Amino acid sequence: MSNDVWALAELSNGKLASISLQLASKAAELAGAFGGESTALAFGVTTAAAAQELGACGVKTILASEGAVYDQYLVQPHAETLATLIQQRQPKLVLFGTTNYGRDVAARVAARLGLGLEYNVGDVAVEGGEVVMTVPAFGGSQSVKMAFQGEGTKLLGARPNAFPTNRIGGTAAVEQIPAPSAPAKGAKVSGPFGTEGAEEAGHLGKAPDGHDIWMPAATRAKLEEAQIIVSGGRGLGGPENFKLVEDLAAALGASVGASRAAVDAGWIPYTHQVGQTGKTVKPTVYIACGISGAVQHKAGMGTSGLIIAINKDKDAPIFSFCDLGIVGDLTVILPQLTEKVMARKGA
Amino acid sequence: MKIVVCMKETPSTTAEKRFGPDMRLERRKEDAIINPFDEYTIEEGLRQQEKHGGEVIALCMGPETASDTIRKALAMGADSGVLVSDPALAGSDAIGTARVLAAGLTKIGFDLALFGSAAADSYGGVVPSAVAELLDLPLLSFASKLDIEGGTAKIQRQAEVGYNEVEAATPALVSVVKSINDPRYPSMKGIMQSKKKTIETWSLADLGLVAATVGAGAAGEQALGAEKVSTTRKGEIYQGNDGAADRVIAFLVEQKIL
Repeated sequence: MSNDVWALAELSNGKLASISLQLASKAAELAGAFGGESTALAFGVTTAAAAQELGACGVKTILASEGAVYDQYLVQPHAETLATLIQQRQPKLVLFGTTNYGRDVAARVAARLGLGLEYNVGDVAVEGGEVVMTVPAFGGSQSVKMAFQGEGTKLLGARPNAFPTNRIGGTAAVEQIPAPSAPAKGAKVSGPFGTEGAEEAGHLGKAPDGHDIWMPAATRAKLEEAQIIVSGGRGLGGPENFKLVEDLAAALGASVGASRAAVDAGWIPYTHQVGQTGKTVKPTVYIACGISGAVQHKAGMGTSGLIIAINKDKDAPIFSFCDLGIVGDLTVILPQLTEKVMARKGA
Repeated sequence: MKIVVCMKETPSTTAEKRFGPDMRLERRKEDAIINPFDEYTIEEGLRQQEKHGGEVIALCMGPETASDTIRKALAMGADSGVLVSDPALAGSDAIGTARVLAAGLTKIGFDLALFGSAAADSYGGVVPSAVAELLDLPLLSFASKLDIEGGTAKIQRQAEVGYNEVEAATPALVSVVKSINDPRYPSMKGIMQSKKKTIETWSLADLGLVAATVGAGAAGEQALGAEKVSTTRKGEIYQGNDGAADRVIAFLVEQKIL
């Protein structure tokens, strides 16, 4: 086995998900610590632009595989290529993202080759030539130190935003790998619209009468990549007040998040949920509106740069982990705040 | 249609969590619940049965006491249950668990195998895909809608914004997200009937698996230690509506956000 460290990039129609750069940056760092080479893997319809971005994060080589098959089928072609490459080249470690894509690919590869697999890793240290991983457990209330055991390549799944992106500059050598044929028993993407148009521009698709459906502008930015998030919870009292959260988000140029309670109440779709069973976010500023701050919610936002909490219940747990807490009425404060933000931005 | 719902027993979210000296969770029976995600799985199995007929079987790997948790699935309406329980399974990792579920699914036989998209204790979400690989079958993952017609399962797969449509021929595996349905509560009649329903308990030998491929010894990872996380922040607390918006603005300006 080599001392090489690989990073599995995530592409959709040739466009990189931001976690790919976080993984590539960490792969370059860990390969240095192990005295091996760093490599990023990019499987998709087109890979040239991705290879350039990944190379700028310090990885030495890109294993690029191009083919329509990667977007036509869920993960099976990706797992096929990754498993073959691991068998041929025996890297020490493969980093993947603990995302829907990363989970599905890595689990198939680990099951096929019988490899060690860890997920939700929040931090990695190197001790005695091996990785020691910090993994949150039980909704973030416990932190567990994990190590791999046994022989063979190990698969390490990082939580989104666990590792910083370091664009240290550089150009990677690109090696082309042939794409596999379509799987015999595959999960085929059958439409009606791909992820890329929807992700890029907030385009949800076409209504039955042919008109285009768009997400509200304020909610377009991917939560995991947002610099500011305004999040709403049960304390808003009802769906009509969720508009106050969306208005503030629009004024700040922020994304909209939500607690599980707000999602379960049907005020906002599940894709906005922050927490243990939703997204893990790490924005510069997280503004929690009417969110009590259960441990499950904290698991998804506890490492945000700054946390501002607004809640009328002075005993809400969120007031014990915020940088500024406001005990007051959201229906009064949020409209005022939105107006003042807009006034400042206009100034 | 033969539907198998794979489920897990987890400690309740509010239960105090303690690790034993072997770094395994000390499980207490009174804290055990159905993994909350699996309630959606069971519900979806029942709804597909209502449309297509057939039977719903709940499959669970866990300690012997997990039969009480399976009983809750039967109270919701599942027809029978299978518990795979064996002392050799203690400490199994996700891949070990997948080996057991794959063997269980093969022994039972199925047209549709349903999974929750993750379990609320570990939130790994890797078992469904690993099982699919071991069975060499398609996995339709993160489904927010499931339709089955003429031997094809079609899902809406939850994406960042909107969804993708993905389809596969049955037999197939499907993992569901919780926007797919609203799980029912067991009725009194359902609870009474569940007591007469069968739960079979299978050992590793019943599945033709050897202990060396599962359990702590076969796991590719080991826990070195655990600690409670304390992430308290002692921020300023401002009381009252008056001036609150100005205080937030001032804070954002101090922090150079505005």
